[in-house]
Amino acid sequence: MTQSPAAADPTVDPGLRGPIAELLLSLADDEFVIGFSDSEWTGIAPLLEEDVAMSSIAQDELGHAKAFFDILADVLDDGRDGDALAYDREPDAYRHCRLVDGRRGDWAFAIVRRWLYDTADDVRLGALAGGTFGRLADLVAKIRREERYHLMHANAWFERLGHAGDDARRRFEAAWDRLAPTASTVFAPLEGEAALVAAGILAAPMATLDSRWRETVEPTLARLRLTAPPGPDGIERSRLDHSDDFRWLWEEFTSVRRIDRSATW
Amino acid sequence: MTDSPPADRTTDDGDATGLEPWEVFRQEKEGDPMRHGGSVMAPDAILAVHYARELYGRRQESHRLWIVRRADVHDLDDPDLLNPPLDRSFKKPGGYVMRDKLAAARERSGQAKPKASSKSHRTTEPTR
Repeated sequence: MTQSPAAADPTVDPGLRGPIAELLLSLADDEFVIGFSDSEWTGIAPLLEEDVAMSSIAQDELGHAKAFFDILADVLDDGRDGDALAYDREPDAYRHCRLVDGRRGDWAFAIVRRWLYDTADDVRLGALAGGTFGRLADLVAKIRREERYHLMHANAWFERLGHAGDDARRRFEAAWDRLAPTASTVFAPLEGEAALVAAGILAAPMATLDSRWRETVEPTLARLRLTAPPGPDGIERSRLDHSDDFRWLWEEFTSVRRIDRSATW
Repeated sequence: MTDSPPADRTTDDGDATGLEPWEVFRQEKEGDPMRHGGSVMAPDAILAVHYARELYGRRQESHRLWIVRRADVHDLDDPDLLNPPLDRSFKKPGGYVMRDKLAAARERSGQAKPKASSKSHRTTEPTR
């Protein structure tokens, strides 16, 4: 990642800096953590072609994370660049949602997680596109063009495993039972979201986006005979508390940075 | 391709995993001819398109891709049809000396010699 300019973004209303930073951190960390977690499939995906596809999608997510971190660096203007924001925090300071907090799991788990995340992220990005913070809205417009492909890929596999029989369907259902209760954490309320909605940066409160997402996925769930995810109750701390699985992943993705802070590609 | 289309693709080219080969054709730039790029293994058309996109388009190197199930390709490599034993050189255009006639015709019409042929003209040449 390149050094970002050390001047605070002048287009940001100082009063909105906190809420915008919170939003950017949640977006960046979601993409960063699911990107790193899915990159664990490199070399061991079910077939060579899928290996390339999953790795490429994981790489795209890290690219999106970098773009969010770079904007965040300018908004915070505290001397940290994108790399520092991505790598130099303790595990507890990450703000990714619980849906992406777990270990890689088996292929059904990876696909169900990707599908839940991509369908939810699509709704969230839709509420950020056309927002009044120009830099973020422009970036989101670009990211959505790539996420469209991710969504197609996730849909193809989700339908495939959902219609499969025997072991594949059993693993699919087991993954669903484990992951569906955490899906709404993508829409965990942000402290400053009222200010973001009032300023036109976010089109609607997270709770509204959660309902919108549920309407979107409902026909697919009915077709694949899946129970709707439980309601978004008790998710207030779901971007604050992380699992030991995440601590393990954190050790992995910070390992080079912790050995040599100046390491570059 | 030199192999014949399998009568039953699930037992010949395909295998127990349900995968089968798909041929990928690439167009580098708009207007370029579609050229064979390679192949991917996939269980269905949707994933074949995804994998073609990843393997032949993720670096923005393709303007368009065609993805064709190998089982749907009609293969012709019969030497009796493609390389018959009798002399057929009179069917090739090389036998005619056109250069002087063309030059004279250009002079009459006042047209300049066209620039070197673009890549896309190659598609009209006979392939091996």
